[in-house]
Amino acid sequence: MPWSFGAERAGDESMEALLLAILKAVVAGLLMGLVFALVALGLTIIFGVMDVVNFAHGEFLMIGMYSTLLTAPLLGVDPVLTLPISGLVGAALGVLCYFGLIRYLLRGPVIAQLFGTFGLMLFLRNLALMIMGSEPMIVHKGILVGKSFVVGPGIVLGATKLAAGALSLLAFWGAWWLIDRTKTGKALTATSLDKEAAMYMGISTERVNALAWALGGASVAVAGGLLVNFWPVDPNVGLLFTMIAFATVALGGFGSIKGALVAGVLIGMIVQAPPVWDAMLRLAGSNAGSGFTIHSFKYTFVYLIYFLIMVFRPQGLFGWKQ
Amino acid sequence: MRKSMFVVVALLAAALILPAAGFAASKEIKIGVLYPLTGGAAAAGRVLRAGAELAAEIANQKMAGIDMDMAKNAGIKSMGGAKIVLIVKDHQGNPQMGADLAKKLIQDDKVVGILGCYHSSVTKTVSAVCERYGVPMINGSSTSPALTTRGFKWFWRTTPHDKWFTKDLFELLKGLTEGKVKGVKAVPRAELNKLAAACEKTEWGSHVSEEIKNFAGQYKFDLAVNLLYAAKSPDLSSEVQGMIAPKPGAMLFASYASDAILMVKTLKSMKAKPKLIWGQDAGFDKPEFREMGKDIEGILTRSVFLPSVARVKKVSGQVNELFKKKNGVDLDGASARAFTGLQTWVYVLEKAGSAAPKAIQKACNAIKIPGDQLVVPWAGVKFESVGGETGQNVLGMGLIGQYQMQKDGKIGLEIVYPFNLATANMIYPLKGF
Amino acid sequence: MEAIKNAFDFSDFPRLDMGVAGAALAFLLVFPALPHSSFAMTTMIQFLMFSLYGMGWNTIGGYAGQVDLGKAQYVGIGAYTTAVMMVRWDVPFWVSMPLGMGLAVGWSFIIGYPLFKLKGHYFAIATIATSLVLKDLFEVWDFVGGAKGLELPLRGNMPDFLYLQFREDYYYFYILLVMFLAGLLFINGFRHSRLGFQLRAIKDNEDVARSLGINVHWSKIKAYAVATAYVAMVGSFHACYNFNIEPEDTMSLDLSVLIALMAMLGGAGSLWGPIIGASILVPMRSYLGSWLGGQAGLAGLDLVIYGGIIMLIAAVQPRGVWGIVQAVRAKRRRT
Repeated sequence: MPWSFGAERAGDESMEALLLAILKAVVAGLLMGLVFALVALGLTIIFGVMDVVNFAHGEFLMIGMYSTLLTAPLLGVDPVLTLPISGLVGAALGVLCYFGLIRYLLRGPVIAQLFGTFGLMLFLRNLALMIMGSEPMIVHKGILVGKSFVVGPGIVLGATKLAAGALSLLAFWGAWWLIDRTKTGKALTATSLDKEAAMYMGISTERVNALAWALGGASVAVAGGLLVNFWPVDPNVGLLFTMIAFATVALGGFGSIKGALVAGVLIGMIVQAPPVWDAMLRLAGSNAGSGFTIHSFKYTFVYLIYFLIMVFRPQGLFGWKQ
Repeated sequence: MRKSMFVVVALLAAALILPAAGFAASKEIKIGVLYPLTGGAAAAGRVLRAGAELAAEIANQKMAGIDMDMAKNAGIKSMGGAKIVLIVKDHQGNPQMGADLAKKLIQDDKVVGILGCYHSSVTKTVSAVCERYGVPMINGSSTSPALTTRGFKWFWRTTPHDKWFTKDLFELLKGLTEGKVKGVKAVPRAELNKLAAACEKTEWGSHVSEEIKNFAGQYKFDLAVNLLYAAKSPDLSSEVQGMIAPKPGAMLFASYASDAILMVKTLKSMKAKPKLIWGQDAGFDKPEFREMGKDIEGILTRSVFLPSVARVKKVSGQVNELFKKKNGVDLDGASARAFTGLQTWVYVLEKAGSAAPKAIQKACNAIKIPGDQLVVPWAGVKFESVGGETGQNVLGMGLIGQYQMQKDGKIGLEIVYPFNLATANMIYPLKGF
Repeated sequence: MEAIKNAFDFSDFPRLDMGVAGAALAFLLVFPALPHSSFAMTTMIQFLMFSLYGMGWNTIGGYAGQVDLGKAQYVGIGAYTTAVMMVRWDVPFWVSMPLGMGLAVGWSFIIGYPLFKLKGHYFAIATIATSLVLKDLFEVWDFVGGAKGLELPLRGNMPDFLYLQFREDYYYFYILLVMFLAGLLFINGFRHSRLGFQLRAIKDNEDVARSLGINVHWSKIKAYAVATAYVAMVGSFHACYNFNIEPEDTMSLDLSVLIALMAMLGGAGSLWGPIIGASILVPMRSYLGSWLGGQAGLAGLDLVIYGGIIMLIAAVQPRGVWGIVQAVRAKRRRT
């Protein structure tokens, strides 16, 4: 990192600038993190119920993004309103995958599950490539697009990101209510705790599995619908989010919904942290780096976190299942 | 027995006739063309292809109404009217695929030479293949300076490269502070002194980043931020945040299409207020970018060709009309250079008088195409080996355009640099988001 | 002597298999002399490369049963060692390749130790994570050229056996063929070796294996090292064959996945499996890619088909093509 001493100290290379940078990172991280958490929610539900890791998780997200993006102009409404469509598409896709593929994979060795869902990932990703082409797309028109609020000492909040964060919280609350307060939810929990005992109690494992996939698919697709307002979609967008989801679930604890929420927010903040480092550098009197900077590594940290957590604390923060 | 005899005779006849057909076909000159027809730069690939195909068409026929030597002949006169045949392949932006396709073009399709490839990273590998096999390659649109510093003997580049283009930018910045820019009073140096740059982390982008750093030092600007970001990154909020923080006067970018759009959108959502935004062509000079309409008003981009050049060069207008008729859009920096690249091939073949590699090589090193033959506003095409570079055209020139709302309500580019070619007053400072 | 005899010991295969293998070998030997397009040659070279990659992967993914989706990082280490040594210090291929293998194996021990505390899908994802981290590092490390990668300079006096620079592809083909045969014999020997037996015991039932006194952790790490050595060797070759390497091309996740997929499709855990898998998928990819090239509406069709095949195999016969062959034979034997 090239250091150049004697850089001019203008007003912005001060402690205030650093504090502002931290505040901005926290806020941006919180908003982004809530969306990451929602992406991870689906993965953790499926995993909690049947111990299957879905490599195609990011592709479900991608499909959710495309669904919202494309149905909005078709129906002539705002993309915020087509979120439920994404949810339905996600749920349907989840159920279809369960009955069409996953059910068979469960019978085989772990290697079969891994490759089955990998094949699904390749299949969905390239199907999207064939149908949609590879050029990135993003929401251009909508009531929230392009608007922002300025809060406090210069923190800019984009309307779309605010809505995404709020809706994500709503989705989490909905998931928690479903699992904790309804009979179906209890069936889900029972199966994930002890599949055989649940079966003896009359809970159909097949139905619960399918439900888990429906829920998982729906939540990640809705996350996609929120995301596409400020994050461009292309057929390859899934991989990064699959990795982020895994890191989030690992950090939060496989199977823990609360963990997904907390971990998602933490990871969101890590990804938004680079400007804080820049501000610290500037405070110390150097230019904010030339060539490679900490910005290049923001997702590398996410992968590292997964690795370190799995090796040193596999149950994550709140996990009860290994 | 008779039936099988018949089959044998038919096969023998075919075996004798086909090579003869091959001889007849030697009145064709095959040139391999490698462009990204699918993938992130597919839209660029399409117009690149269209530019090259138009040039080949003009070369192969006598066309009135185009003031170019090649329009006067049908085919290559010095080779008995041989027609140019383009074999176009899609490298998808993948350097490895480009190299494999180049091998195929050379060994299976037996092309006389290659034109391509837009992406500097693909041009790098394809030119290495050509160098290995001793096959001439002309490059029309890749601007990484490194491509001509390898001492290659079979590679020529018509377009000026990023070192020159970046220098143009700093000349513009300096000119702003000296009041040389049309319609803008001299800007106090302190206002523009701080710069922030973000370039994509590829062959092309990293070289642009180096050039920006060098020239910033030379022209004594303060480069507060000079970062490289992962290309095709879906989330640039932290990078943009890092650029805004030191409150720079000018923000500089080197991005392909999707990143360019994302950068501007992110700037907008963060309500950034730089005085000047400049993009090193590529993504900043594409139709998708222009779709953002009013949001991009005032943004500068390096370019090599603008339709307004037609106002000062008749032949540009003539070719542009033809291009527009066929493709529905004006020529732009990419298609104009692809056209020029193929055109250079035509003139080189004309001079060489033969398809033999050595003859073509000799012709390339000796050719001089006068500027009035070209659609681009250059002084001409002449390849020289000077200052550690080989095969670089030294008569090229870049333009800097600024997006301004046109009379028809659409956004278009006006020339602001070179100062003597300016077609409109420059908007300064940017209105901010 | 025992070890050498084991490497040539194919006695557990029926004569039909050896006949087919012999015919295939004969074909490979004479292929460059037959009329072929440069495209076919490129495909054959790719086939040999992926067979070797797959054979290596099979050691850890097939015989040991731990699915490794991060092999590309070692391809990168092998490729970059050769490239950097040639570009900076003029080191010939035959020196840099073993060095590359050594570096890769060293790195594999370092991350293997913590890595093998994990199992199943946790392990798989961790391998992805480590591979991506290394790739990101290479993309910003100027010493290896960063994201631009490294270009291997043409030394000018081809054919060059010391630095592996040839104008004609068939030189590369034969050198690779020799590597392929050596690799095949090594794996055959490996199957019969102590480590091979240990791995099979571990794959069957880890706890039982442990109770028999096998150090499960170390066996896995050793298998991982063998896999790494194969992959790094081919990586070094790749650098010389392509004259140009960059992280996106040598260390991408796509490459890791392809390696694993081919071995799995053919049959993980069998000697012929990776070769069968490569022989199906490499030509399919090559030819589909070239037919479809340029037609925007069909880009990606080859991978859609891949994905479909993989799903089918995973659901129906996870032991891959070879598993199907064995199942058919078992059925025949019973009737």
